[in-house]
Amino acid sequence: MKKLVSMLLVLAMMLCVAGVSVAEEAAVPAYDGSEVTITFYHTMGSNLTTVLDAYIAEFNAIYPNIKIEYTSVGGYDDVRDQISKEIPEGIQPNIAYCYPDHVALYNLAKAVQTLDAYIDSEAVVTRADGTTEIMGLTAEQKADFIEGYYNEGREFGDGLMYTMPLSKSTEVLYYNKTFFDANNIAVPTTWAELEEVCKKIIEIDYYSIPLGYDSEANWFITMTEQYNTPYTSATAPHFLFDNAENKAFIKMFRDWYQEGYLTTQSLYGAYTSGLFTSTGDIKSYMSIGSSAGATYQRPAKNADGTYPFEVGIATIPQVDANNKKVISQGPSLCIFKKANPQEVAASWLFVKYLTTTVEFQAEFSMASGYVPVIKSVAENEIYADFIANADGGDFVSALSAKVCLEQQDAYYTSPAFNGSSTARDQVGALMTKCFTIPDGSDVDGLIDAAFADAIAECEYAVGW
Amino acid sequence: MVDSKQQWKAWLYLAPAIILLLVFTVWPIINTVAMAFMEGYSGLGKTGGEVTFKIGVGNFTHVVAHPDFRQALLNTCLLCVITVPVSTVLALLIAVALNAIKPLQKALQTVFFVPYVTNSIAIGMVFAAMFNVIGNIGTRREIITSYGVVNDIIRAFGGKWINWINSGSSYWANMFVLIVYIVWNALPFKILVLLGGLQSVNKQYYDAAKVDSTPRWRVLTRITVPLLSPMIAYVVITGFIGGFKEYTSIVGIFGEKMGPAHLPGRLNTMVGLIYESLENDNQGGASAAALILFGIILVVTMINLYVSKKRVHY
Amino acid sequence: MSENTFKVMKQKNMRRISGFAEPMRVLSQLSIYLFLFLMALIVLFPFYWMVISSLKSLAEYKLSPPTFWPKQVLLSNYADAFTTANLGRLFWNTMYVGVVSTILSLIITVLTAFAFARLEFKGKETLFGALLATMMIPGELFTITNYSTVIKFGWLDTFTVLIVPFLVSIFYIYLLRQNFLQIPNELYLAAKVDGTGDFKYLWKVMVPLSLPTLISITILKMMGAWNSYIWPRLVANKDDTHRMITNGLRNAFTETTGDVNYPVQMAAVALVSIPLFLVFVFLRKYIMSGVSRSGIKG
Repeated sequence: MKKLVSMLLVLAMMLCVAGVSVAEEAAVPAYDGSEVTITFYHTMGSNLTTVLDAYIAEFNAIYPNIKIEYTSVGGYDDVRDQISKEIPEGIQPNIAYCYPDHVALYNLAKAVQTLDAYIDSEAVVTRADGTTEIMGLTAEQKADFIEGYYNEGREFGDGLMYTMPLSKSTEVLYYNKTFFDANNIAVPTTWAELEEVCKKIIEIDYYSIPLGYDSEANWFITMTEQYNTPYTSATAPHFLFDNAENKAFIKMFRDWYQEGYLTTQSLYGAYTSGLFTSTGDIKSYMSIGSSAGATYQRPAKNADGTYPFEVGIATIPQVDANNKKVISQGPSLCIFKKANPQEVAASWLFVKYLTTTVEFQAEFSMASGYVPVIKSVAENEIYADFIANADGGDFVSALSAKVCLEQQDAYYTSPAFNGSSTARDQVGALMTKCFTIPDGSDVDGLIDAAFADAIAECEYAVGW
Repeated sequence: MVDSKQQWKAWLYLAPAIILLLVFTVWPIINTVAMAFMEGYSGLGKTGGEVTFKIGVGNFTHVVAHPDFRQALLNTCLLCVITVPVSTVLALLIAVALNAIKPLQKALQTVFFVPYVTNSIAIGMVFAAMFNVIGNIGTRREIITSYGVVNDIIRAFGGKWINWINSGSSYWANMFVLIVYIVWNALPFKILVLLGGLQSVNKQYYDAAKVDSTPRWRVLTRITVPLLSPMIAYVVITGFIGGFKEYTSIVGIFGEKMGPAHLPGRLNTMVGLIYESLENDNQGGASAAALILFGIILVVTMINLYVSKKRVHY
Repeated sequence: MSENTFKVMKQKNMRRISGFAEPMRVLSQLSIYLFLFLMALIVLFPFYWMVISSLKSLAEYKLSPPTFWPKQVLLSNYADAFTTANLGRLFWNTMYVGVVSTILSLIITVLTAFAFARLEFKGKETLFGALLATMMIPGELFTITNYSTVIKFGWLDTFTVLIVPFLVSIFYIYLLRQNFLQIPNELYLAAKVDGTGDFKYLWKVMVPLSLPTLISITILKMMGAWNSYIWPRLVANKDDTHRMITNGLRNAFTETTGDVNYPVQMAAVALVSIPLFLVFVFLRKYIMSGVSRSGIKG
């Protein structure tokens, strides 16, 4: 029997021999102009792929032998699932949209190329027109990155650079400006103010749910940042969110939910942006959601081409208005190891092109509502025009970008490790679970139990 | 006597099937059993260079320790124990009723078969829409945008609406929706099999009863059920096997979170656990869960066969 | 129930024939119809709801109490659904997989069933028994390894991965073998005397005689392609190039932002259901016999 098992084991292993070769990265080779095909997985919709197409064409004018093939793979999680299937066979793409926890997962297979050697490379590459550039980033290029975004690429515990930021978004507070102005309500900047605003709105319109929050998980994590209480850690023990402070804010928000001040997407049973833009009897007057989704927070036009109400955008409420914290989201790019070093070099050149080209960053931002990752975009004329035109109607994306740009130093990220996405899912579910604890039951006891369960689920997920 | 030429020819005919079976049926059985005993087997981990796996029952204990395991087992068993008898009895009644009528028989028979030819995820979405309540349910200042058609009907009859599938809903409300959906889905096949059985039953048994003016109920329990017992046994056994593999009906209604918003995973099933492990790149755990499921199905089928041997009249 | 009991009952019946039951019979017949109509209503309601929802505007859809017939019929939902979920492409993918896998599967099933029904070879009964035994094993057990296997073969996101692993169905082989066995052996022997080869005999005699079973298998196989969800989600869900209809349907309406247009979603669901429904209407006899055959012979 033992013999059989070991035989099977050998057989299984033989069949599973992996395709990724772990190349040592001493000196990285410069791209030598050879013909390579680079595959790129992202989640762009057709509005963004048009922009991408245009800049791939520009890139190919410089490097005609680098062929870029991209695939739009559903959402961020779909990209992760797809790539983790492909890595064991070495058929993963060259470049992919990524979030930090995806990289932590791919790193189990040591599949992600570290970029430090490329960034620092002084090797000279010749372009199609005979001009040259260095492989790495110039000092100006490095300095042009918004520092916080750039440094997200090296938050994997070993100080090495794994990703390059592409575009950023955050959460913003959308409010019904028409209603706020008409009733002389000030936009809340703190949670305490928000509570008062909610009370006021209900006095004016009893059949409303004043605030809709799109993502429970973001909410929880942002609150831990704002209160500066533990959430997770990149080193074990990873899951630190079961503490009295976190329970306290959950309990407070539960009470607000029970009062009908607010709701969230999964509690409401439909998208909160739909509630915010509703012109029916039941609506909300504030909505917290992604800054890249501004157009979803704008009501449909009336028959005469006007909007039923004007949208205002502000920073989300804070615990301390002088120490703002907003979540940093949006895709980064990672490059995968490949047997052919030229493929990797070419991938790096394309990533460098996308992240450092002002025109691309500007157009991408204008088409999507994501904000650029380099500072010089602000000096771009077209982009400056775009921001200057910001309003609560047709140019709501510009308004959202403008608000994001103004709060750039408030961005935070949370640690990425294998299991961080589980923690995210769990704290999101934890919020809804606690909010729905009915009055009259043992609220504290049930909140305690919910926290303990969430921790147990997280610990289980990283159990091996 | 089997001549060698025919031997050779037979294997030629069998070759395509045998090759495919070796790759996609035989090898998986061997490999899955092997992986189940390799602790923490993971495709990504192996690619990263961790090629040594301890041999042991760790995958099994890990699956059993899953926070959802007991719940998944309970859900799976409850769904089986409830939906199989309910759908069988209902199907039997409908089949008998169909068999007792002449006009419209064909038309009604067709109607009852329609759910069989639908896409279970698609119709699951319809069921979800019918039961979905939109609003801040259960709060002190409850404002409901939409109750969903099922609640609208209940309210029209003066009843109190129920939070079926949304956040804050109770376990049994969730289960009720699932049971309704699964029974609805299971009826066509069972009706068809039972009706087919009824139509092939020797008419003279019934003529005898008719002449005797035996009450319908007695005819049903004393003649129909015993005569149909092989078909009933068949639909019950296949129903149990199918029930233990319940998964897509839950995805259809609750989505891949396998539960209402506030308690994802509450409606998880054994098959759900297998796919969860697989998606999390834990093939060892998935294999162990699949073997556990196989064990359960085997035992239940044995019990079913044993019972039907005693009770089925051939 | 034993034969004896029936004999006794029959004799009893001979003795007392009743004549007063006519009004009772009408009443009970009526209640049977009532029961059937009620059940039919429940069975059909989701379809009805799907269709009328798919024709409403979003505002009307949200009305409470709801309208049971759309005030304004919005056929544009169907056009929207078709583009939102890229249904054209998904339909094509699903049809392609369905047709190709059905044809290949039929060929393999016929060959295998023939070997088991008519040819003699060593270990035939053992092999057949072993095959039948694998039907007990839950499919998920195969999925886990097949998933790694197809990745190893480089089949991820191809049509091959959706077709090849499921070409052999023990159940269909069993079904067809039973059918072949019913064809009298004399025909086969006669053909042999005439010098007709096995293959010609299979093609000219057995296949035509088993046509109803083959058609049933075809339909069940096509329905399988139409309904498959788990396997394609695992191995062919990268983009719409190879995505199957059910996965596309589930994906298209789970965006993270924006308002779900439920009527459009319902229209998409209806569009997905229509082809199966049409097939059913036209081939009702075969589908029902195929399904019930699987039951009675079980």
